[in-house]
Amino acid sequence: MTAPVLETRSLSVAYGPIRALSGVSIRIAEGETVAVVGANGAGKTTLMKALSGLLPAQSGEIAFQGRSIKGRGPHDLARAGMLHVPEGRGTLGTLTVEENLRIAYDVRPARLGYDEATAAVFARFPRLADRRRQRASSMSGGEQQMLALARAIVNPPAMLLVDEPSLGLSPLMVKEAFNVLHEFRDRGTTMLVVEQNVRSALRLADRGYVLRQGEVIASGPAAELLADDQLLNRYLGTRTKEGA
Amino acid sequence: MTAQILNGLIVGSMYALVAIGFTLVLGVLDRLNFAHTEVFMFGAFAGLVAIDAGGIWWLALPFVFVVGGLFGMAVEFISFRRFEGDARITAALSSLAVGLVLIDLTQKVWGTEPVGMTIPGYVTTAGFELFGMRVVYVQLLILGVTLALMASLHLLVSRTRMGRNIRAVADSPAAASLLGIDVRRVTQDVFFVSSALAGVAGLLLAFRTGFANTDVGLTFGLKAIAIMAIGGMGDLRGAVVGGLLIGVLEALTFQFGVGKLGELVVWVTMILVLFVRPEGLFGGGVHVKDVRA
Ligand SMILES: Nc1ncnc2c1ncn2[C@@H]1O[C@H](COP(=O)(O)OP(=O)(O)O)[C@@H](O)[C@H]1O
Ligand SMILES: [Mg+2]
Repeated sequence: MTAPVLETRSLSVAYGPIRALSGVSIRIAEGETVAVVGANGAGKTTLMKALSGLLPAQSGEIAFQGRSIKGRGPHDLARAGMLHVPEGRGTLGTLTVEENLRIAYDVRPARLGYDEATAAVFARFPRLADRRRQRASSMSGGEQQMLALARAIVNPPAMLLVDEPSLGLSPLMVKEAFNVLHEFRDRGTTMLVVEQNVRSALRLADRGYVLRQGEVIASGPAAELLADDQLLNRYLGTRTKEGA
Repeated sequence: MTAQILNGLIVGSMYALVAIGFTLVLGVLDRLNFAHTEVFMFGAFAGLVAIDAGGIWWLALPFVFVVGGLFGMAVEFISFRRFEGDARITAALSSLAVGLVLIDLTQKVWGTEPVGMTIPGYVTTAGFELFGMRVVYVQLLILGVTLALMASLHLLVSRTRMGRNIRAVADSPAAASLLGIDVRRVTQDVFFVSSALAGVAGLLLAFRTGFANTDVGLTFGLKAIAIMAIGGMGDLRGAVVGGLLIGVLEALTFQFGVGKLGELVVWVTMILVLFVRPEGLFGGGVHVKDVRA
């Protein structure tokens, strides 16, 4: 196995006296797509925030590209190649679509020039081209999610973290968001996706971790987790009939 | 009458300059910096230092811009950096204390009496007639400098990378940081710009009155805070319009022989505006800040 791009060892995170993550060890290898699934409140968002530097680790280790990143701030990690698309998308609503892309482009030196990079975004998301001079907040939730995911196109990260891309979207837009993630995966993006939408996430991923009350209770190839009806029903409350 | 309006606009432009800085920190960082009025006060004394050092008098303006800005960064470090989120009120109180200490230290050095400021007579007394109205060069200087600074600030915020980062932080500090924006750095930038403007406004006021005075923070400067509330908390346009409006209103009440009311005008206007429109004249419109996480 190649060296992991991102790895945690016995990571614990707390909100004051409340423990949200206990001893979580995960790893994402280069080019791999990993899903972390779990019910509401399992600690998925907390994990993402700890990985991108928004929350401090209480104990344990986090290594990005082989080096410990404990104590490094989110802007620092973003510049180093981490892209965290947070729950609720994290688009800058009062800025224009174009300004949102510009900031995402400027985060670190890019391979493509700015015009080429935005052309690639607009080719994939024509809606964003139409609305480039409008405030991001004037767009629908789905369009804003596309704008958030477009960050990974305008300046591709070394590690993409996506938190609940389907949250609050219409079924059509959920499908669209997962289509984009499938494209990213096929392009070899190293990616960690967190979802309540367990089946969609596991169908996307190579491997998966199941999080419950802040602990990893199962992990393995995504196909095996997906086939484990008992696990899915007991801990994730998904109905077998939902899948195909 | 037109002379009074011109006077009002000149005083108002200085109110606006102070209010802009105060509202910028609030709008972007959600912080109330009560040391702001005293950085404004200190601007005149920093100007005295520059002029007494024997330099060219107008070089005091860029000097005070930088000194004011550095003071702002110091206030950010002392009063604000340690306090996040819910501790905003504590931070505001700390900045109030810093401002009062600054008054006291200034009085220890320069005394409590106003200190005369000498700039060339061709600026303070010479002038020309315009439509039967006497215009003194210092009035033009004040209008010119304040307008230039406001226009520059507008361009900075709307057109530059620094301005984009400032608006990103105003929108959401957490989201901005995930996009690689150093929120602490932007915070320092904002405090610098905000206080630099206040410092220059303080020096301009001293140019006009001929004195550096340790009282002006709590008289003139405090009104700028009211003007921010009138214009809409955190709204740059509101600060400019509110400042000019109050300047002219004050001048007109003086003109119509109700000069005693002068000081009251701004406070009564603030109470009335906020009673009728709690969000201020421009609040809820185009704003540097949105709902934060
Ligand atoms: N800011 C916070 N303060 C206190 N507790 C929190 C905070 N955010 C989340 N939690 C708690 O941490 C646990 C994990 O939350 P979260 O990571 O948001 O879960 P998920 O993303 O899987 O739904 C939950 O019990 C939640 O109530
Ligand atoms: Mg969550």
